[in-house]
Amino acid sequence: MIEMLQYDFMQRAFIAGIIIAILASVSGSFMVLRRYSMMTETLAHSALVGVAVGIISGTSPIWMAVAVALLSAWAIEYLRSFFHLYSDAVLAIFLSGSLALAIIIVSLAGAFNSSLFSYLFGSILSVSQEDVLSIAIFGTAALILLGLFYRSFYFIAFDEEVAQTSGIKVKWLNFLLVSIVAVIIALSIRIVGTLLIGALMVIPTVAALRYRQGFGMTIMLAAFFAILSVLAGMLLSYHFSLPSGATIVMCILVIFIISLVINRR
Amino acid sequence: MKFEPAVFEVKGLSYRRDHQTILENLSLIVYKGEYCAIIGPNGGGKTTFIRLLLGLEHAAIGQIRLFGVDQKKFQNWDKIGYVPQRAMQIDTGFPATVLEVVKMGRVAKRAFFSRENENDRVAVEEAMEKMDVSHLRHKLIGELSGGQRQRVMIARALSSRPEVLILDEPNTGVDQISQQRFYALLKELNSKDRLTIIFITHDIGVIADDIGRLFTINQTLLTCNDPKEALSCSEMSKLYGIEAHLLHNHHHH
Repeated sequence: MIEMLQYDFMQRAFIAGIIIAILASVSGSFMVLRRYSMMTETLAHSALVGVAVGIISGTSPIWMAVAVALLSAWAIEYLRSFFHLYSDAVLAIFLSGSLALAIIIVSLAGAFNSSLFSYLFGSILSVSQEDVLSIAIFGTAALILLGLFYRSFYFIAFDEEVAQTSGIKVKWLNFLLVSIVAVIIALSIRIVGTLLIGALMVIPTVAALRYRQGFGMTIMLAAFFAILSVLAGMLLSYHFSLPSGATIVMCILVIFIISLVINRR
Repeated sequence: MKFEPAVFEVKGLSYRRDHQTILENLSLIVYKGEYCAIIGPNGGGKTTFIRLLLGLEHAAIGQIRLFGVDQKKFQNWDKIGYVPQRAMQIDTGFPATVLEVVKMGRVAKRAFFSRENENDRVAVEEAMEKMDVSHLRHKLIGELSGGQRQRVMIARALSSRPEVLILDEPNTGVDQISQQRFYALLKELNSKDRLTIIFITHDIGVIADDIGRLFTINQTLLTCNDPKEALSCSEMSKLYGIEAHLLHNHHHH
């Protein structure tokens, strides 16, 4: 443990990993409670389009991922109000549509390589100084926004219509929440990968819900589980040369299964 | 009472959905401090009426004024406490303690950067006390009985210190004893706190005698009466479209 922390890249990965664990699990808990879990999966695939554009244009894949994820989050929210009966279909369209687009962009550029692989499944080796900086800047902004509005997000998750009739700007806050989530997802793909970030947003909350606590406690448990699995996942990934995203997700799954067994009735 | 300012004023309200008339030329006024019930058959448009009033449904013809202001321009939503029908069917696995739910009533009141203040705390405590749920504060809502959950939902609405309380079918899934206690609490809120109360139900058997006015709605406003003299059998037949026998819930004092 001490020895691996002597490497610069491991220090960076740990800092970025802890920030991401907190952000993903806390913002993810609102998504789970609103039955929006699939949205995280969809936005992760949209972020991949940004990564592809970033790779072929030589700009920052993370910044591009943030931009594209934001645009798709807004488009999805907008379309959901039109197709409200089929809103899950909108998610399916965006999910496969953006994956297809990302694959075409990347293959046109002849860039089907290990760099793309690391964005799909996460790689702690690839976390650069610049990535940590992006994660710290956007992450702090996201955390401040979550802190300012978490009571409103919670009320909306509890009962959207009652929240609206009590004077909360539900439509605007829905856009804000998916925007925050889009940014967090785009930041996380370095470490967890686009195909696996959904798990880090959803599973810690689902595991925490098994302990049947109030919201404050549930969200803290979720963050704790997320941090635990990110740290354990990165350790194992380092020692056994495994892709970090997949290892982290396996760790969350173990926590989830233990939570299920402890709290079975 | 008629000289009090109107809380709700609805004129010529008509609403169609999927080529079906839900409401037709409905007009009614509710005054400050009233305790009234809206009854009518299922599908008669009671809930739609309330949803239009609260801006949850749009594109109706007619005029709605809330506290004298055109509903589209109305801002002071914290004056209205709303407890919808499905509040009783809420997901029992939702992570929320009673205290967390009642505090939701304060969310819209708070400015962006302000923390919970003394005012918020007092309002939450008062609301819990009034609905007699203070002792349940750390319980999860999923662990409560139907009657307790109902009181928590109303405490949530009361914590924003509203002037009007709208309850849509609040007795779904609540046992008889809890219901009686609930009516006593509502009466107290109306007489002591001067809270205007509007109560929707399809179950005419449960309407207590202390209600001031009774509106019967089936697409349009059929009757608007003092409940003690309301609802002759012919009116009930007109309302429900069947031969009706009235069961009065008389309390002999």
